[in-house]
Amino acid sequence: MFSANDNSYRQCSLSVMDTIADPDIRFDENGICNYYYEYKKAEAGLRTGEEGWKELEALAAEMKAAGKGLPYDCIMGLSGGVDSTYVAWLAKKLGLRPLAVHFDNGWNSELAVMNIENIINRLGFDLYTYVIDWNEFRDLQLAYLKASVVDIEAITDHAIFATLYRLSGEKKIKYFLNGTNVQTENTLPKSWIHPKSDHVNIKAIHKVYGELPLKTFPFSNAKVKRYYQEVMGVRSVSVINYVDYNKKQVKELIQKELGWRDYGGKHYESVWTRFYQGYILPEKFKIDKRKAHLSDLIFGGQITKAEALEELAKPVYDPKQFKIDYEFVLKKLGLTASEFDAIMKAPPRSHYDFDYEKPIDERYPVLKPIKTIYRTIFPVK
Amino acid sequence: MLAIINYGLGNLTSIRNMCKRIGVEAEITADPGLIESADLLVLPGVGHFKKGMENLHDSGLRQLLDRLVLGEKKPILGICLGAQLMTGHSEEGDTTGLGWVDADTIRFRDAGLNGLKVPHMGWREITLAGENPLWADLPPEPRFYFVHSYHFRFRQPSEVTGTALYGYEFACAFRKGNIYGTQFHPEKSHKFGMKVLENFAGL
Amino acid sequence: MSQVRIIPVLLLKNGGLYKTVRFGKDNYVGDPINTVKIFNEKEADELVLLDYHATLDKRAPDFSKIAEIAGEAFMPMAYGGGITQLDQARKVFDGGFEKVVLNSVLFNNLSILEEIGNIYGAQSVVASVDVKKNLFGKLKVYSVSGTRKTDLDPVEWAKNLEAAGAGEIFLNAVDRDGTWEGYDIPLLRAVSSAVKIPVIACGGAGSMADFEKAVREGGASAVAAGSMFVYQRKGMGVLVNFPAQKIKI
Repeated sequence: MFSANDNSYRQCSLSVMDTIADPDIRFDENGICNYYYEYKKAEAGLRTGEEGWKELEALAAEMKAAGKGLPYDCIMGLSGGVDSTYVAWLAKKLGLRPLAVHFDNGWNSELAVMNIENIINRLGFDLYTYVIDWNEFRDLQLAYLKASVVDIEAITDHAIFATLYRLSGEKKIKYFLNGTNVQTENTLPKSWIHPKSDHVNIKAIHKVYGELPLKTFPFSNAKVKRYYQEVMGVRSVSVINYVDYNKKQVKELIQKELGWRDYGGKHYESVWTRFYQGYILPEKFKIDKRKAHLSDLIFGGQITKAEALEELAKPVYDPKQFKIDYEFVLKKLGLTASEFDAIMKAPPRSHYDFDYEKPIDERYPVLKPIKTIYRTIFPVK
Repeated sequence: MLAIINYGLGNLTSIRNMCKRIGVEAEITADPGLIESADLLVLPGVGHFKKGMENLHDSGLRQLLDRLVLGEKKPILGICLGAQLMTGHSEEGDTTGLGWVDADTIRFRDAGLNGLKVPHMGWREITLAGENPLWADLPPEPRFYFVHSYHFRFRQPSEVTGTALYGYEFACAFRKGNIYGTQFHPEKSHKFGMKVLENFAGL
Repeated sequence: MSQVRIIPVLLLKNGGLYKTVRFGKDNYVGDPINTVKIFNEKEADELVLLDYHATLDKRAPDFSKIAEIAGEAFMPMAYGGGITQLDQARKVFDGGFEKVVLNSVLFNNLSILEEIGNIYGAQSVVASVDVKKNLFGKLKVYSVSGTRKTDLDPVEWAKNLEAAGAGEIFLNAVDRDGTWEGYDIPLLRAVSSAVKIPVIACGGAGSMADFEKAVREGGASAVAAGSMFVYQRKGMGVLVNFPAQKIKI
């Protein structure tokens, strides 16, 4: 169905995904890209509206039963952004008692912190904050920058993942509420990211380019996740996938009900993320993340392609804000302009140039037959 | 280019930090050549009036500044002590000032303070008066950071562009042609100060 | 009507911010540069940055680090921790701070107050006074991060500091630090009525009501707090905050 790519530029006829965003993109005979079909498939698997809400309520009842006699029945991350704020609002509506977890990696914007304060105060939730040791985190970020790998956010994502699982164990919480949603996040080229559970990759990159020992950075791994899921029965619920998610309407709702303030960009609650998505990704890696989530909005009928193109025509970064952020980022990371310039000019490298998490039999092929026997006795659920 | 005159007193770094933040090219300097070539001047200052005048004298910049400000009418913004120095005389040390504006500098009168402490230290809302390009587009209810024991006393109310209330009303900002002065510290007054500096830089 | 200054106090150690309880156990709360940036955007009235173990650890101030931190603030900043000489004070001022906070040095050298004040003005020198109950339950002044006892009475000591040229007194009730239980109002009142210079209350603030009390009953000219501004609530997670309301008296 999909034609092979030649090396010329091509854009999806429906959306704004193109060969720059993903060199491995494929198009059908109508010029529609594979992401459209992936989106539709994922969308078809969703149960939203009344049906979805009933299912959510049933899930909520399960959570409440599991949390009986305990201080919390679920755990959720809170960043101050639209998605996690909406999850918080839904949790309240479902009558749940979540432990809200905020992850502070030293880059919070004032807006993020204010939004979180309003959410917590108005919804009456408890807040747990994990503050990463800035010196260690800075060392990791610098290591990733020098390694020229694309997914610098993997370190933050990994730390959140590790912290949430650890907390769920400590506080005996069986359910995670997460803000992942098909409607704005389904499209995501694999070349843009690296699995966030891969602690081996983080340690490998740090080994080459890091300078400080990582004493407090929270590490976890896929085995731990599987343990929690299979043995402890921990389950992650993508709450937003059960409702009709119209971004514009949701923003209006949380603005009105929770005093939420808009950032003017996805994930701009972190100054680092703003800089990373607005400057590093486009300039060094030629990745404009807007193409992905705008395409999802097109696939879901929330905006038209014309509107998306209009959005893309705007500069990714407001020049005045960029100048301030540039100074701030360099100051925080302790980089001179020429050091940073050298990093920006260095060619991108693959995460797989460094060691990464492999199943044990891939790492030690001699174990393959043993693994086959093991899997026969204990199949993956 | 904005020259922040370094005569040994004042929040020089803070002023430059704010200029940088608002995108204004600024230099801290005592160099006559740089000061002469600058488009705008800032005369900062914190501390004793007498020391201020002594430092100015010792810097050797007095005559240059008189010429640039009074003769060439280069825009200059005096901040706190810097603004006070522009007056004719101060009760602090019974010292003669630059005499660029028709005013003197006097100590807060205890009688009018009704028990309020001196120095006047903290944030205070100001009342804007007269035409002043520095007040353009100021956020509503403008307030600034003050820290001083002495204040201006103007003979011509027309030159007073702002007043504040501390026990009694006193002049806190003035303008005489190209000569501007504020008792408060724009470099320490958040978005309000940023607007004032931005407006000054836009002259 | 006077607007009362509300002042966050940030405790710095080895480039990181911490929060203590009773000047004892400290918890990591984050990166100082980003934290000051947030307070700046929240338009905090003023900020006090203390390298609170500098004298205890025998460390000099890290001038370049604190200048980086000061660069994020467009409101008045005070720095304290390990300052013993005029030259160090000068470096701090040059770094972008308006005030220096002195504590341990004053027990050996009171004249440094005037030395700095004569050049930079008395309002630029803040004398910090840490007060704790001694073994007999009497309130005494302590030095070196509250670890070394003196036999000084807080009120007498404050009067001495004023006479020696301090511009403000930063009064810390060590036993209240990090407890959210409210300020030590009797201590505050005793000191503020004994001196003419402004007294900044610190130690124990848990709410806006505590601020009002410190001003109306305690005679404080300004109110300072640590825990209230770095934690979302008592016992809850780190979340930088600053009240939008003002206190007017």
